[in-house]
Formats: sequence, structure tokens, C-alpha cells
Amino acid sequence: MVLQYGQVLHYLPDFLWGAGLSLWIAALAFAGGLLIGLAGAAVLTYAGPWARWPVIAYVRFFTYTPQLVQIFFLFFALPEFGIILPPIAAVLIGMTLNAGAYLTEIERAGFDSVPGAELDAAETLGFSRVQTIWHVIAPHVVRTLYPSLSNHYIIMTLGTSMAAIFGVEELTARALNANAISFRSVEIFSITAGIYILLTIIASFLLWGVGRWLFRIRARVF
Amino acid sequence: MSAWQIVAAEAPRFFTYWNMLFLGQAVLNTLIASVLGCGLGYAMGFVLAVLRLPQVMPVAAVRAVAILWVEAFRRIPFLVLLLLVFFSTQALRMEAPLWAVAVASVAIRMSALAAENIRAGLDSVRPQQWEAALTMNLRPLAALFRIVLPQSWRVILPPSIVHVLSMVKETSLVSQIGFIELTFAAKMLTQRGFSAILTYGTALVMYFLVSWLLASLARAAGKKLTARPIVLTP
Repeated sequence: MVLQYGQVLHYLPDFLWGAGLSLWIAALAFAGGLLIGLAGAAVLTYAGPWARWPVIAYVRFFTYTPQLVQIFFLFFALPEFGIILPPIAAVLIGMTLNAGAYLTEIERAGFDSVPGAELDAAETLGFSRVQTIWHVIAPHVVRTLYPSLSNHYIIMTLGTSMAAIFGVEELTARALNANAISFRSVEIFSITAGIYILLTIIASFLLWGVGRWLFRIRARVF
Repeated sequence: MSAWQIVAAEAPRFFTYWNMLFLGQAVLNTLIASVLGCGLGYAMGFVLAVLRLPQVMPVAAVRAVAILWVEAFRRIPFLVLLLLVFFSTQALRMEAPLWAVAVASVAIRMSALAAENIRAGLDSVRPQQWEAALTMNLRPLAALFRIVLPQSWRVILPPSIVHVLSMVKETSLVSQIGFIELTFAAKMLTQRGFSAILTYGTALVMYFLVSWLLASLARAAGKKLTARPIVLTP
């Protein structure tokens, strides 16, 4: 076997555009998941048992089944109900719902991290609601959630590669196309793997830096 | 006909003995790929984690290679890793059967995740234990196996069951190279003309049952061995 990277290097700009789309998909799905997770975690923490069990069922279902099959279901089964989703929509909806389930579990830990005694103390000291949130609740929540949220964001960036299966032109799909044209498979997929490694290392470093300087969190990210 | 009428009409033709046998064998293939891959991966991960220990491996270059392996392979998406292994075996003319490619990919990915998990377990033991053992003139490997490892099992075991669970889910991507595991079986049945609601719906239910079993196992192990909560990973 002779590796000839020279023959595939001209795909590099194309791959980097694909990587940009991967980052977008991850960011959008993460943002949506964050909101779903916030709602889910609030329900799990404050609501009664009747409101809790649908949320628990949602979290269990999405965390116990593969994301790929969930998106397959959205993509192939929903048309039978008359809902035809374009590939990018199916991927985004699937990834958002999946992220929402995991982030519900993660964000619940944030709600649990605020000690009740500190809330009482804030009330005794005459803190306003905004002051309580800013000085008492936020520091606990951020410190508990920041590392696990950052980790999940990076895991989701890696997870976007399955969008290729549905024909969304992100990094892995472009690699598959280039592979179909040039047949230099090992070269192409090792370059693709290298781009993913580089992307996540940069993301880890940025998230670590933000956590370190903004929130004084020393935890390692991913 | 509405979707539910189609499902109701097809259900008796779908839930036959032979179709269920086919799906059952597919579940077995999913389990073989993930459990065998995780087993191999944990063995590799253990070697990697040990090679990272300065007490055991004095050569810094080897420690660096172990760290590089772990850092690289946990940052490659499983689909890309799978395609890389698949095409590499072809390029090397190895004629590897599909199940071997699947198991190898799971094992490589798992080795990186397992090495991190085992390292966390070994780090959970106080460094004084190492120092005491080495001072008593135990060889480093004897100190590892007799002193440190027995104390770190309770940290290593519960996440490793969760790793098997996450691999059961990730092996759904192996359908892309044509290994007949649960997702590929569902795809085949869809192509045979059954409603996608039935085929993928059944696949989802089967995945759920397997995962639920593994998660209960992990939760029980976690409760027995540590006070740490079990965190599921996608």
C-alpha cells in the first residue's frame, strides 16, 4: 500500500467548509437542547409527580436508544404520517431532541447544586431577586454545569458526523464524496479524522480558557 | 389509508416468527460487536493506562505515545473511525470479515475511553499507597496488581458498564458498512416493503430494552460499589 496524500490535498478547502457546517449543526442542536434541558430540569426539580413522568419517559427513551435510529425514524417513518422532512431538518430535530434528553439530566445537577441554606441566608440579608440569582444561584450553577456542558458540546460536535448518512454536506459527507471520486480512501479518511481531532482540540482549549478566566473553573474540558 | 391503518394491516405480516428470529439474531450481533469490542478495548485500554504510569514506565517517549493514542482516538467520530478501519483493512488486502472490522473499530474507540476511565480509577488511590509499596521493595507491576488495582475496581467498574451501553448505541453506525446488526436488519426489513414505523419502531424498542437492562446493571453496581451517580454518555 502506497499512501499518496498529494493527490487528495486539493480537497482540503472543501473539507474545511464541511467542518464549518458540522460546527453549525452542533451549535444549533446544542442551543435547542439547552432550552429543552432547562425546561426538563425545571420540571424534574419543581413539578409534581404527574408532570415529572412524561419528562422521565422522554429522557429515558432518548438516552437509551441510538441517535442514528431516532433520526432514521424521523426521516423514514414520519412521511407515513404525511410529514416529509428535508435531511438537514431531520438531523437537526433528531440531534436537538437527543441533546435535550442528555442536557435535562446534566442541568438537573445544576438545580440541585444550590444549597437551600444559602437561599435562606440571601433572603435574611435582604437580597433582591436579581441579587440572589446573580450572587448566590449563578455561581453554583455555572461551576457545576460548565465542565459537563462543555464536554457534551464536544461530544455533539463528533456526533454530527452521522448527518452524512442522510446526505447533509458536512465534513464526513464531503469525505465520502471525495472518496467516491478519487478512491484514495485511507488518505481521505485519515485527513478527515485529523480535522475532527484538530477541531475538538481547539474547542477543548477555548472552552477551558473561557472557564478558567471567566468563571475560575480549573476542570479539564473533554 | 392513514398511517395507523397501514401499521395495523401490516402488523400480523411483520410480527411473524421468522422476522422476529431475524431481528433477534441481529440484536445478538449488536451485542457481540459491542461486548466483544468493549472487552478487547478494555484490555488495550488497561495496557495504555499502565503505560502512562511513571511508576511503571520509566521511558517518557512510550508514555507520550500512549497519551497521543488516547487523545487522538477519543476525538475521532465513530463513523469516521469505522470507515478508516474498513478501508485500511482493504488497502492492506487483509480480507477481514465485516464483524471483525466492527469489533476492531469498537475496540480501538473503547481503548481510548477505557484508558481514561482506568486512569481515573488508578488516580483515585492515594499516592502514598504507591510510595509505601515501592518503599517495601515491591516491583512496580506487583505494586500495581497487588496494592493499587484492587482498590480502584470500585471506581472503574460502574462506568465500564455504561461504556458497553454507549457502544450498543454506537454500533448502530456499523450498519453503514453492511454488518447485519439491529439497525441494518431494520433497514433490510424496510426495504422488503414493511412500514418504516414498524421496522424502526421495533428496532428502537429493542435497543431500549437492551440499554435498560445494562443501565439497571450499572446502577446496581454503582449503588453497591460507589456513592458516585451514574452518568450516561451518548
